[in-house]
Amino acid sequence: MNNEKDKVPLFKSWNYWYWLVIGFLVLLIVLFVFFTKYFS
Amino acid sequence: MNFSRLDWIVLVITLLLIIVYGVFKSRTSKNLDGYFLGDRQMPWWVVMLSIMGTQASAITFLTAPGQAYTDGMRFVQYYFGLPIAMVVVCIFFVPIFRRLKIYTAYEYLEQRFDVKTRTLTSFLFLLSRGLATGVSVVAPSLVLHSLLGWDITITNLFMGGLLIIYTVTGGAKAVAYTQQLQFVIIYAAMFLAAWWAIKMLPQGIGITEALHIGGKAGKLNVITSGNTEHGFDWKDKYNIWSGIIGGFFLSLSYFGTDQSQVGRYLTARSDKESKLGLLMNGLVKIPLQFSILLIGIFVFAYYQFNPAPAFFNLAQENKVKRSVYANEYAAATDKYHLLQEEKSKTFTRLGEALKRDKADEIAALRQQITEQQRQDERLGDRLAVEAFDG
Repeated sequence: MNNEKDKVPLFKSWNYWYWLVIGFLVLLIVLFVFFTKYFS
Repeated sequence: MNFSRLDWIVLVITLLLIIVYGVFKSRTSKNLDGYFLGDRQMPWWVVMLSIMGTQASAITFLTAPGQAYTDGMRFVQYYFGLPIAMVVVCIFFVPIFRRLKIYTAYEYLEQRFDVKTRTLTSFLFLLSRGLATGVSVVAPSLVLHSLLGWDITITNLFMGGLLIIYTVTGGAKAVAYTQQLQFVIIYAAMFLAAWWAIKMLPQGIGITEALHIGGKAGKLNVITSGNTEHGFDWKDKYNIWSGIIGGFFLSLSYFGTDQSQVGRYLTARSDKESKLGLLMNGLVKIPLQFSILLIGIFVFAYYQFNPAPAFFNLAQENKVKRSVYANEYAAATDKYHLLQEEKSKTFTRLGEALKRDKADEIAALRQQITEQQRQDERLGDRLAVEAFDG
């Protein structure tokens, strides 16, 4: 069933996409912590 | 009120463009699949913009910067659970919904359980969404009411009528395409407002200084733990824990079971496009929301050097000025403006202290600002009560 139309873009599987989204969330939280501390 | 000919032209053209564009793009929808799911032909970026457009409304424009202006940026934490929910929706919900080729999330519940479950959940959706849409409609109506002085019932009927025209005639495709346009208009206008607020700041106060002013006034509280000197504050609405845990379940119910969102990603032409649209939403949403809240900080910084209106709803303010509370309101407004002037002086001194990097002076001024903020809030609450009583 996994034809060309359903091929995962950029990565080998959707798991990489999921980790990218979660990793980006963690990165944002870390940056926000620094942002809060710097300007307070 | 202050509504020029140019404002009228922009308003009328925007509204007409949204309706005509939506109806034009949906002209090929001839059957149920076309009407409810846009023939399942949408690419991921239309799905993403449509999902984000559904979440955004005039409320986003009005309340998010307002939230940052009054309570600071900690509201952004409320979105921390969203990316996690996007992943869960992609793993568990999208494959099932698309495999069964259903039109609504509630149709799945009928197949899984029975028609009673479907009826109950559909009813709950219609009830909650109806109430939420009511609030979404009343927000732009309030703006028109404030700007034009029209009766709120007329502006409500006007805004609600326009919505009904293009959604009922155009179906899912019209909603998807008009939301794209609305998304672009809303966000372009918001960033224009931010640029304008920065441009209007006094000489010597740039973006960094404006951020420092917001930070020293306690508005750049992006991450808060909910901990106080007396332990964890369970009544604290926005902190990192409520954001991740509460935000996750809230987003999961919204994107997994609310037809206003499920209907958006079911319009995609494949599983891949649905998932990509949702995951991109998970990547973009927090930075976007952060930027929207930041607008409130720049507006806050702007109003530390310029007189802020005592009450932002001009129509309501004019009403109270003609009521029995007029004298009391005028006295409170005078006091408010005096406080504004004092605050402005304190912030100018803070700007200078920041440039000289004088830690002691900054700390003292910060304390002074906190006290002035408290007085400001108390007076603002009093003015709001008087305005609405009037």
